[in-house]
Amino acid sequence: MTDPFPRRAIARELSRVVNAPVGDVLAEIGDASTASARRIGITGPPGGGKSTLISALAAHRLEKNRDRTVAVLAIDPTSPLSGGSILGDRIRMDAIADLPRLFIRSVPSRGARNGLCDNVVDLMTTLERHRFEEILLETVGIGQAEIDVRELVDTVVLVVPPDAGDSVQAMKAGIIEIADIFVVTKSENPAARQMAAEIRGIVGARKSASPPAVVMTAANGSGIAELSDAIDAHHHARDNGDTAERRRHYHLKALIGREIDAVLSGNGEMARGDLRSSYNRLLQHLRRY
Amino acid sequence: MSLARKRILIAKPGLDGHDVGAKVIALALRDAGADVIYTGLRRTPDYIVRIAVEEDVDMLGLSILSGSHKELVEDVIAKLREADAGDIKVFVGGTIPVEDHEALLKAGVCGVFTSEMKIDSVIGAIDRELAEG
Repeated sequence: MTDPFPRRAIARELSRVVNAPVGDVLAEIGDASTASARRIGITGPPGGGKSTLISALAAHRLEKNRDRTVAVLAIDPTSPLSGGSILGDRIRMDAIADLPRLFIRSVPSRGARNGLCDNVVDLMTTLERHRFEEILLETVGIGQAEIDVRELVDTVVLVVPPDAGDSVQAMKAGIIEIADIFVVTKSENPAARQMAAEIRGIVGARKSASPPAVVMTAANGSGIAELSDAIDAHHHARDNGDTAERRRHYHLKALIGREIDAVLSGNGEMARGDLRSSYNRLLQHLRRY
Repeated sequence: MSLARKRILIAKPGLDGHDVGAKVIALALRDAGADVIYTGLRRTPDYIVRIAVEEDVDMLGLSILSGSHKELVEDVIAKLREADAGDIKVFVGGTIPVEDHEALLKAGVCGVFTSEMKIDSVIGAIDRELAEG
């Protein structure tokens, strides 16, 4: 079977980009100015069923459109103690792991504390350069405040298990406010419909057009078509005119942020003295770059 | 430690019924600073090779308890080469009789580790192997 894309070359490119300082990233990805792929973010608390959902969703979307190519970026947490990680999301994706038009990559979060990983935007751009039409991004299992994914993707899907209980109350200010679609997983659990109703109550009370809440069981495919349709409907309803510009803004902020981190951690002198002179010194240093 | 930022795939080919040893190694490698991808039980050589390629791992560890280590190892190594990924180093762990070690090393693995070995010395050997490049 011939591969529809150069799998090994893409994999190696991702490895180069994931650890690269800003200068190398710019050299590697060139001028990435077009918003080419649909970006779908899957987020939610740990153990909620994100990986299983992605597996079923990717299978469904590849089946529905026989020309489509899909990439999955699955982020798992880096241990703050050892700096190592167990990247286990793939275990839940074994049903799809041999589909030819699919590429799955596991990524450790490294220094990122926002549910994403270092260089995540560069990784997505790299995949877009290889013309993947859709990217499914699985965040680290999150609490309530990790909302950076909003800026990075077109559609945010928040995955909530039926037994999340009070944590949904805790999410009221934060992740619930930025989600486009809600999914309550494990619909065989009697609490699932009640959880969906509760979420509808929370978001319906606030937003003018309240986002859909889908109840599903990835294991038997129930609810997957509904979720996939909701993603398409959201994409068509939103204004995509400024997508390229928004992505570029996010990318620039990410690059500058990393450069600042690199300068500060690499040069102890930079932050010496009073705040204003440190600030000016840092600005000056960045201008030289 | 040279294991920082190294990507290692721990895979279980064949029909083994449990993966205790594979998980012990995976956790020890993580604690030594590596990024460890774990496949879960009963994977085919094709599946394992595809993951090794996609994840661009530096090393692939095969955990085998079933006794079919010779066939499985040879199959995986041949398929890595077919996929133009013959440079990915492979080690084997599990229930491997001493008299088979030589043949496995000849087949192209960089190390054979059994359950009698101390975990620290296994991690140390993997570390040295990766440091050699």
